[in-house]
Amino acid sequence: MNTRPPSQPVEPPRWGDRLLEWFCNAHLLEEIQGDLYERFTHDVQQVGLPKANRRYWLNVVQFIRPFTLKRQPEHYSSPGLFSSIMLRNYLKTSLRNLTRHKVSTLINLFGLTLGITACLVIYLITNYELSYDTFHPDSERIYRLIGESQYGKSGEKHPVGFVPNAVPKAIREEITGLETVAAFHNISSDVLIPTGQEKPKRFESSRHDELVVVDPQFFDIFRYEWLAGNPQTALNEPFKVVLSEQKARTYFGSIPLDHILGKEVIYEDSVRVSVAGIVKEWVQPSDFNFTDFISFATIRASKLKQSINLDQWTDIWSASQAFVKLPQGATPEQFTAQLQRFGKTHFTKNMELQFTPALQPLSDLHFNDEYDDNYSRKAHLPTLYGLMAIAAFILLIAAINFINLATAQSVQRAKETGIRKVMGSSRANLIFQFLSETALLTLIAVLISLLLVHPILSLFQTLTPEGLTVDLFSWQTLIFLFLVTITTSLLSGFYPSWMLSSFVPALTLKGQTTSKGGENGNLRKGLIVFQFTVSLVFIIGTLMVSRQLNFMRNKDLGFSTNAIVSIRPGWGDKGPVLAQKIKQLAGVERVTMEWFPPMGQAFMVTKLTYRDKKKDVEMDVSAKIGDENFIPLYQLRLLAGRNYLKSDSLRELVINETYAKALGFKKPADVLNKLIRFQDKAFPVVGVVADFHEQSFHEKIGPVFIANMPQARNISVKLATQGKQVGDLKTTLASLEQAWKSVYPDKKFEYTFLDDSIAKLYEKEQKTGQLVNMATAIAILISCMGLFGLATFTAQQRTKEIGVRKVLGASVASIVALLTKDFLKLVFIALILASPIAWWAMHQWLKDFVYKVDLNWWVFALAGVLAISIALVTVSFQSIKAALTNPVKSLRSE
Amino acid sequence: MKRTYLGEFEELVLLTVAVLHEGAYGVAITDELDRQTGRSVSISAVHAALHRLEEKGMLKSQMGEATAERGGRRKRLFSVTALGSRALHDIRAMRDQLWDSISPSALPVISL
Repeated sequence: MNTRPPSQPVEPPRWGDRLLEWFCNAHLLEEIQGDLYERFTHDVQQVGLPKANRRYWLNVVQFIRPFTLKRQPEHYSSPGLFSSIMLRNYLKTSLRNLTRHKVSTLINLFGLTLGITACLVIYLITNYELSYDTFHPDSERIYRLIGESQYGKSGEKHPVGFVPNAVPKAIREEITGLETVAAFHNISSDVLIPTGQEKPKRFESSRHDELVVVDPQFFDIFRYEWLAGNPQTALNEPFKVVLSEQKARTYFGSIPLDHILGKEVIYEDSVRVSVAGIVKEWVQPSDFNFTDFISFATIRASKLKQSINLDQWTDIWSASQAFVKLPQGATPEQFTAQLQRFGKTHFTKNMELQFTPALQPLSDLHFNDEYDDNYSRKAHLPTLYGLMAIAAFILLIAAINFINLATAQSVQRAKETGIRKVMGSSRANLIFQFLSETALLTLIAVLISLLLVHPILSLFQTLTPEGLTVDLFSWQTLIFLFLVTITTSLLSGFYPSWMLSSFVPALTLKGQTTSKGGENGNLRKGLIVFQFTVSLVFIIGTLMVSRQLNFMRNKDLGFSTNAIVSIRPGWGDKGPVLAQKIKQLAGVERVTMEWFPPMGQAFMVTKLTYRDKKKDVEMDVSAKIGDENFIPLYQLRLLAGRNYLKSDSLRELVINETYAKALGFKKPADVLNKLIRFQDKAFPVVGVVADFHEQSFHEKIGPVFIANMPQARNISVKLATQGKQVGDLKTTLASLEQAWKSVYPDKKFEYTFLDDSIAKLYEKEQKTGQLVNMATAIAILISCMGLFGLATFTAQQRTKEIGVRKVLGASVASIVALLTKDFLKLVFIALILASPIAWWAMHQWLKDFVYKVDLNWWVFALAGVLAISIALVTVSFQSIKAALTNPVKSLRSE
Repeated sequence: MKRTYLGEFEELVLLTVAVLHEGAYGVAITDELDRQTGRSVSISAVHAALHRLEEKGMLKSQMGEATAERGGRRKRLFSVTALGSRALHDIRAMRDQLWDSISPSALPVISL
């Protein structure tokens, strides 16, 4: 209707028009605007455009008169958006519609439920992780003392999450402007509770995150609720301990808390302390799950001073922790200069350890794994963000299904829209109606996912963080669910409802509804491409992650890991006795006394010097300590020379190939009998072993030496495997336990298989792998369901066309091809889009590994083939069904 | 008879509608007024008057055809109702009566 002949290109000012349309009463608008247009056209010819424009504006403004203004209500009244009658009607039509289109309803419901469940689970996990230690009063003012350490002049600088034992006290005295400084030490010990009888009750513990020796100031920084005892004085004296409520109950049973005060607890067999207070555990997630707080003054007064040397400046232990609280309004930057000066004055040039203290915010503690310690569990922030992205994408894919299916079916609802419009429904009403339908579906999905959350969380316990507690009905969760419902409803419902409500009733009632078919078709195609792009990225990710995991699992580590059991006897000199006993057991092939196995979380680096012809070559070298059985037990390959001989102390060294090369020897045999200095003594190299991995594949193989030292306390046992059954393994383990009990009657027998402890190095990657697998499965599932729904729908829509084609002689194959081709094209486009994205993402992930698989083109091809075949299977089910339909049936009725 | 009062402008508009007969709509009336009386009136004033006259029942209207120069919008065409006609006649009769009652010497002579 708005067409004007091309000879009339001039239009009145648009904003003038807008103004008029805005204020003018609808039934007057046409004549008034018409008159103004006519006058404007006339004016343009008479006085030119600028003047005509001005006159137009003037005219419009002059029309602002009482009789022209819009009045409420308008001519036809319609019930408001929230009138109860209409709501009931909407609900009824919604339910009817949902039950009529069962397939698409189920697809939508399933997709939305999956999406929302994924969102909810991931929300609970991330929320839990991000809430760590956020509940402390003034938590933004609490900082941990950390620093940068360097051994020797040429050593590498390492960030450390702990400080030399003597530092906290000195900082308290020398650094001005800190509000509070509190040091503590993690200790690990069995606990004895005297019961009045001969033998005290023993509580075994090897945990490092429960017992702490703390400054009294600790309780000024971290606030606890005190159930008994005086917070001001409890820890001021030596030989006092404050217990958490649960721990007190464990030690003393259910006697009143006041009666527990003054009772005796014994740590490390002889440190007798008395209970001076009982505090309530925090319920919120925290890394500080300490249960026994021993007073700091106890250290100097007891044998603890042997293991905790408070005057030590030259060594550094992860158990030595210190926290500070800054005064109100202070920033950590204010202290940087002071702390650096502190480092310079206390760690002079000729000291073995250089240390520069620094401050780490409390909020960083849970996430930064550069700063290690004995108690906090680190969460990996990028993984959390990745999880959030996955949740968002899954929900998006589900929403896209909804949009696609709803717009595809819009034709069928066009009549309803037409009737509603004729009956006086406004566009806002219609949009609201369709949105409420979406919201209903979303709400059902939310309710189902609420039921699913607990089973899912318990099913995937290995993937969820430790100690995750779920409160589904906390107000935060409810707000989150509310937001998810609203966003999902809008995301998936807005476009379809906007489109549906745009139908012109006169046309739809006549039966013409496909006016905008092309446009919608393109949008739908675009959305399918998007869905499959996401799915393909996930597929490629899955393939690459599993390839890398396989690679790590199967690559030759350079030593044998098969059937090796590690036992840690702990302190004391009974280790050799136990080793001797184990050696005699049947089913044991070999036994070695060692520090640690060749590969694992624990390793130690020391400094070795080799005197070249001209100069000294000093290097950080990893030490592998074990007796003469170490090399044969792990089947390390000797490239030159021999194993070191049996001895009680350090006599000879075996080094690895990398070290030999680093020292400048081209052939391994050349380094034999050369002398290498360790702690001011020179030792001959008697053998060279082939390189083996001592850390995860993230790290490069570095120089290593293997030697015997008396400190080798741990035991590794190679079990005989030839011709043995699993049952034999159990009897061997049982006899190992017997041997243990005969040496350590009081202690529990614990062992680890080397395979397991190596697998532990890749825990994070395993988790990532599982997560990516799951995300892929969900993404593919939802995308395919959407595709299936669309295929069903197109097949239905084209029933007649297919019938006619068949009558005219089309073969089943050609019809299937006809119906399938379009979809496959989309998947193909998605592959082209997904490949670079996936390549980039995997490149980022693989960057962390030194030893890794390549990004091969065939991975992308395989992913493409997979996606295409999945799509093919999904679509062809419907296409074949449609193609096989007897044309008589499809053409019978009109 | 219930007397109806017409404002001077309203009377003019009503008369112009009668003059234009079948083609009486906003712009045409404005132009005709301009031509006949030399007054430059705004379209909005005319519309307002038309609106009032229609409310008073002296005009009736119907939508006419659309033209391109109106951006495809229709005109509202006005015609005088019987009541409008009666009002015009009343006014004219009253004026005539008054003219008739003026003695020839009562008005100063003006040269036309």
